[in-house]
Amino acid sequence: MMMIEQREETSKTETERRAKQSILRSFSSGEDIIAWLADRFQIDTQEARSFGSMLVALGYIYPLQDHKRLLIKPDASLYRFQTPYFWPTQQWPVEDTDYAIYLAKRNIRKKGILELHEQEQYNRLHKWMNHKWDFIVMQAKEQYRAAKERKKPDRVVFECQERAYWVVHRPPPGTVSAMDYGLERRIDPNADETKTPDFYERIMIFTQQSIMRPRVKSSVSIGALVKYCTTYNSHDPFLSKCLPSNPWLTDDVTFWTLNRLNVEVPSKMRVERWTFSFGELLSDPRGRDDFRLFLKKEFSSENLAFWESCEDLKWGTAATMREKAEQIYKTFLARGAPRWINIDGKTMEITVNGLRHPHRYVLDAAQTHIYMLMKKDKYGRYIKSPVFKDTMKKAICPEEHKFSDAQLEQNAKNRRPSLSPIILRQQELEQRAKMAANAPVDITQLCRFTTPVPHLAVYSGITDSPSLAFPAPSPACPSPISVALDSTSACERRLEADERKPEALGPVRGPVSKSRMALSLRRLLKRGCTPATMFASLSPKCHSAAGTSSRIQPISPDEPSQAPPRRIGNFFQIKVDIPPECRIYPIESEDEDEANRSASRGGVGTKEIICPWESLTPHNGTG
Amino acid sequence: MSRWRRSVDELAARRRQQGECERAQDALSRVTSCFQQLATSLGSSADGSFLRDEMDETRALAHRICNGNPPVCLTCLSHLSVSPVCLTCLSAGLSRRLLCLLSDSAHSGVEDRQVSERLWVLFLSALENFLCDLRRASDLIGQFPLTRRCDRRSLVNAGCIDGVVGVAARVASVQVPWLTLEEESSPDLANHIAGLEALLSELQLRVPVVFWSVEATQPAWAEARGVLDEPDESLEDLMEVEVVSNGNKMAACCPPACCGLGCVG
Repeated sequence: MMMIEQREETSKTETERRAKQSILRSFSSGEDIIAWLADRFQIDTQEARSFGSMLVALGYIYPLQDHKRLLIKPDASLYRFQTPYFWPTQQWPVEDTDYAIYLAKRNIRKKGILELHEQEQYNRLHKWMNHKWDFIVMQAKEQYRAAKERKKPDRVVFECQERAYWVVHRPPPGTVSAMDYGLERRIDPNADETKTPDFYERIMIFTQQSIMRPRVKSSVSIGALVKYCTTYNSHDPFLSKCLPSNPWLTDDVTFWTLNRLNVEVPSKMRVERWTFSFGELLSDPRGRDDFRLFLKKEFSSENLAFWESCEDLKWGTAATMREKAEQIYKTFLARGAPRWINIDGKTMEITVNGLRHPHRYVLDAAQTHIYMLMKKDKYGRYIKSPVFKDTMKKAICPEEHKFSDAQLEQNAKNRRPSLSPIILRQQELEQRAKMAANAPVDITQLCRFTTPVPHLAVYSGITDSPSLAFPAPSPACPSPISVALDSTSACERRLEADERKPEALGPVRGPVSKSRMALSLRRLLKRGCTPATMFASLSPKCHSAAGTSSRIQPISPDEPSQAPPRRIGNFFQIKVDIPPECRIYPIESEDEDEANRSASRGGVGTKEIICPWESLTPHNGTG
Repeated sequence: MSRWRRSVDELAARRRQQGECERAQDALSRVTSCFQQLATSLGSSADGSFLRDEMDETRALAHRICNGNPPVCLTCLSHLSVSPVCLTCLSAGLSRRLLCLLSDSAHSGVEDRQVSERLWVLFLSALENFLCDLRRASDLIGQFPLTRRCDRRSLVNAGCIDGVVGVAARVASVQVPWLTLEEESSPDLANHIAGLEALLSELQLRVPVVFWSVEATQPAWAEARGVLDEPDESLEDLMEVEVVSNGNKMAACCPPACCGLGCVG
């Protein structure tokens, strides 16, 4: 930016120099300068005024009165041209040494009474340049004496020049100069690049990637841009007013305090932003809190928790990744996990396969799935929910500040640094730990089923369901009653290549040709699944309650009679293409056989969830 | 006995040398600050051939202080352990003398070493500062060449009329604290800059002095308390006054003939 400015300036200095000759006196009034600029460059007064202000801000012209405000006033206030030694055109480095000498000189002249920011700078430079401090003082004294040799008016002019130079390059608080002291770049983006083979290779890669990008019609993309602009117009602090006041302009930090990350009562603008898109809601911590509250009421907060854990995995340190992935698996994905999330079989397969060699993005598919779930379903409900309406009602709309000039100066003097980011991060981690400690155990487990959401080909989370009257069973031992009850609302599924099927279906096949089946999760887990419908088998116990099913396919009895040990390899192969007419989803209840077996074994304790990649030994009856 | 005497002689010689170096450093400071005053007028309406000549003279003087007669002094480095006093260094410039002092440090005590290091750091800082000013001056001279009459029109009227006479006098009053054999002529601007750059890098490579081990001898804010030559009327007030009575001031400092185009040209 500065380079572009300088480039413009170098072309302007020529015209300027030629122009300055026509200004007769060594100083001019602001209005004269503006008028002359408008005349010389054939621009209108407004533009001449901004151009003039830019000249002042850059240091080519300096005001004689009110030297700290670097802009041009269209009245009789006086300005003078800066001597070329102090011009910024040549981009000579502005050395701290020179500034130190200047401050020392000023110190001598004013006998120790410097302005506050000058004092601060002086102390800082004294500390950092201690080794050359003697030289600085010596040079300052000599320069002071040398300056005295000049005639009085010239001396005054020189002092003004020097002061103006340093106001531009070391602006006092409250002064805005045009010197953009940004990062020092190692390469100049405007310079011509040498055409090495490397350069051409980069161009080739860039164009190849451009070709590969998906295309969108310009009407669509422009429409999206327009929509974005209209939506965010009133929220942009550059384009519209910032309530109560923009801290960068007025040095008053109320705006930031009111919009802190974990503020109790958000502002109205903030709440409005949450309605723009789901991404906005999630990216604002306060919005996420609100959403979390809503989900807790709907008993589906495991989705958000899972999403947050995935984010944590993605952005966390590499050392903790493995444990995090395991933790997430145990908490969210495994069979019988305390906060089990509902994702489709294919995604689950991919995820668990990937978890064998966990990396940062291994949970991406599942996370996207859950994100879409929340976005399509929960988000809409949230916006209409009483939680959100309550928050919106309580949101505050602060009054606009009206500061006078004196107050603005006061504000500028009272500027203080904000909380250190280290402290903020610590607070964030503490809060996260607290939340993790209080994490609810979502009762998304067995013997519950969802209300039908026919348009979704996935399991949606547990929502308000009339059948929530069930007592929550322990993961290990579902009560057969619940299974029986569930069976009345079972879905038909088709299974293939199931080694257990002969056992299960044997007794069933006969009378239950039309029964509705409850399919156990365990069974699903063991079996390979294929698309389309799934066939549910009904436990022998549920004969009495069996409904009718219309889709029993004959199962080939090819499976070996002795059941091989359960292959841990096929996990979670739940298929989701549930035909639209199927209204109710199966329940993740324990396998009846297992229940039988476990009952015969005299009860089972809670089964430990073992991550599938940890051991490939077959388990008998344990998950 | 003789060894004791020799060490005392060494000590005395070193002290003397350090004193000379300090005085040379003062002189260099004076010259460079005058040079800066002159340079600020470059490109403005006070620019002229007189100014440029003065600048050249000032530059030459600085060069003499810094460099002196290098070829003579190369032998001194080999004489380190033999003679405590570098006789051939007498006409050498500040750089050589400091080099001598520092290279000689094997014999000196800690305080001597510290003093020498301090002088070294000050000298290098002065050189850097001067080099900065030289570069700016050369840039400005390139931008505002005064070879032709019409070039004067491109000068900026920055308000200074003429003030360099006093500064030039000050420069002339600077005395180099040692003899100079005026053999080589001072280089022109570009060569001077190149020479100084080379000198700086060479000096930095030659002597491993840790910069930040040097500490300031006076505390912060000390210079404000010092009594200076004359009490100073606050220039800030003057600057304000000038603004208010701008018309009168201009008339006072600018002879009527200078108004109009004369001010610029």
